[in-house]
Formats: sequence, structure tokens, C-alpha cells
Amino acid sequence: MMPRRTGSSRRMGPPIEVQFPVTPMLDMAFQLLAFFVLTFQSPTAETRLDLYLPASPAALPGSAEGQATETPTRRADLDLENDLWIRAEADDLGDLKALSLGDQKLNGVGALTDRLKRYQRVLNGRPLRVRVVADDRLRYEEAARIVGACSTAGVDSVRLADPGQARVGRP
Amino acid sequence: MTRRYRERAASDSALSPNLTPLLDVVLQLITFFMMLIHFGSKLEGESKSIRLPVTPAALPGGDLGLDRLVVSVDSSGTLLVEGNTFDEASASAWWAKQAKTRKDGQAALGVDPETELPTLVVVRADKDASYGSVRRLLGTAQDQGFVRFTLVVLRGPG
Repeated sequence: MMPRRTGSSRRMGPPIEVQFPVTPMLDMAFQLLAFFVLTFQSPTAETRLDLYLPASPAALPGSAEGQATETPTRRADLDLENDLWIRAEADDLGDLKALSLGDQKLNGVGALTDRLKRYQRVLNGRPLRVRVVADDRLRYEEAARIVGACSTAGVDSVRLADPGQARVGRP
Repeated sequence: MTRRYRERAASDSALSPNLTPLLDVVLQLITFFMMLIHFGSKLEGESKSIRLPVTPAALPGGDLGLDRLVVSVDSSGTLLVEGNTFDEASASAWWAKQAKTRKDGQAALGVDPETELPTLVVVRADKDASYGSVRRLLGTAQDQGFVRFTLVVLRGPG
């Protein structure tokens, strides 16, 4: 009878060495790294406020500024009646002295943002447009904060009205 | 030198550095740069003389596009473009020249030159400039047919 061969007695070959080619992958990774390093721009807090200012200004509303009505009779009426007026007055140093939305006096830019957001909800998807009327001596930073508040509240269109023109159009 | 000794010496001289940790680090760096690639990039025309206002602002939605015109306004309300300064009178002529160049280009492409200019005017105005100077500048550009503007600001609590 032949002796039975056991597994332990089988001669084991040398262990198979799996070679993974890392070098081409490293080459590619370095190329990608070089691309990102060369195109890298340091993060910044800079952002932008977009304004669409068509050359032909719409007629100024004669009444009921700041009032959004539900049933406008014509498209033009819709455009005009949805325009909210923001009035900013400056003191002698150019700082913001008074701010109002329509006929409503506001405490500051934060209150303006909140109120614009409420208007946005009331309009229920219809475009919300505002016109900013500010004293020319107002510091640009204050004006930019007002435009920024409009941007934050999701206003669709911001127009900068001429204070003299606005006085003619307003009652 | 025996043959066996020579074989052993040759196998000892073949260095095989472990590249895996290096690859790990490089891939992590790539991930880092990929994640930062769109985290707010500076617009052109940056100048230390212009201190941008800090405002609360939503992230801009639209793309800037390729046709851009970058102008700066210093604290005295003077228009600065590519190292040149323009007062209000000369600024009007400069805007007219820019608009004409673009309208000629549009006409050459067969686009009606009377339509609104697609150029985006990027305005970097100093925070201490007066609102009136910025508004008049925008108005002058408007009169020449520019309709798309963007005000560069620093995002902050306001």
C-alpha cells in the first residue's frame, strides 16, 4: 500500500510577489498636483452684487409705492406696482441717517432684509423689484449694504433711481 | 568573487523605495486643491488703493462671462481704468469710446448694434466714495448702452 501524501508534506513554492506599478500613478498624480498648484487662487471674501440697469427707465409710479397688489390690470402695471422704493437719507458725514421701504421707516439694513423677505413671500414667486433712492452724499459702503440686503433677500432686480427724478415722480 | 556572491550583491543594490505613502500624500494634496478650486476667487482689477465695502451678500448666481470691463472708483469718486484716471467729463468720453468699440464689434458679427451691450461692467468702488459718484458713473455707462453691472464687495455680516 502506498503511503498517503499529506498536504503538509507537499513542497510549497516560493510566495508569489504581486508587483503593483505605483510609478505611473505617481507621475499622473504629480501632474494633477502641478495643475492645481498652478491654477490655485487663495480663497477670498470678495463677492459681487449684480445689477441689471436697462437704459430706458420705466415710468415712475405716481402712487402706492411699496404696495404689491394682487390683481394688476396690465403687465406694465404689474411691473410698476411691484417696484418697492427704498429711500436712504444721509447725514452731513455721509452716514445713513434714515432708511425707509415705501412709507415704512426702518431701523436699519437688517430690518430692510427681513421686510424684503416678507414681501418676497407675499409675491409668491412673482419677481420682486426695488428702486433705491439715496442721497448723493451717502457713503458708498452704506449704499452697497442696502443693495447687499436686497441681494440677500432674493430681490430680482435693483435699480438706482436719480433722487431728483424720484422727487418729481413721488407725491 | 564567486557567482553566488555576485548575484547576492546585485540583488542588494536594486533599491525599491516604498512609494505608497508618497502617493497617499500627493492624492490628499490633490483633494485639497480640488475642493478649494471654486471657493471664491478674486476678480481682476484688484488694487490696494481701493478698499472695498463690507456688506451682507448672497452668493452670485450667474457666470461672469468673458466680455468684461473692469473699472475702479477711488474715494474721491475718480474713475480709474488700467492706470489712467478720468474725471466725470473725460469719463463720459471714455465710456462712449468703449461702447463704440463694442458696438462696432457687434455690427461686424451681424448683431444689431442698437441692442443692449452684453458686456459686464465690473465696478470696484472704494467704500468711502460717495454714492452719488458711483450712481453717476453707472448712469453715464447706461447712457452708452451698458446694462449689466456688478459691484464688487467683501462678504461680511454688514
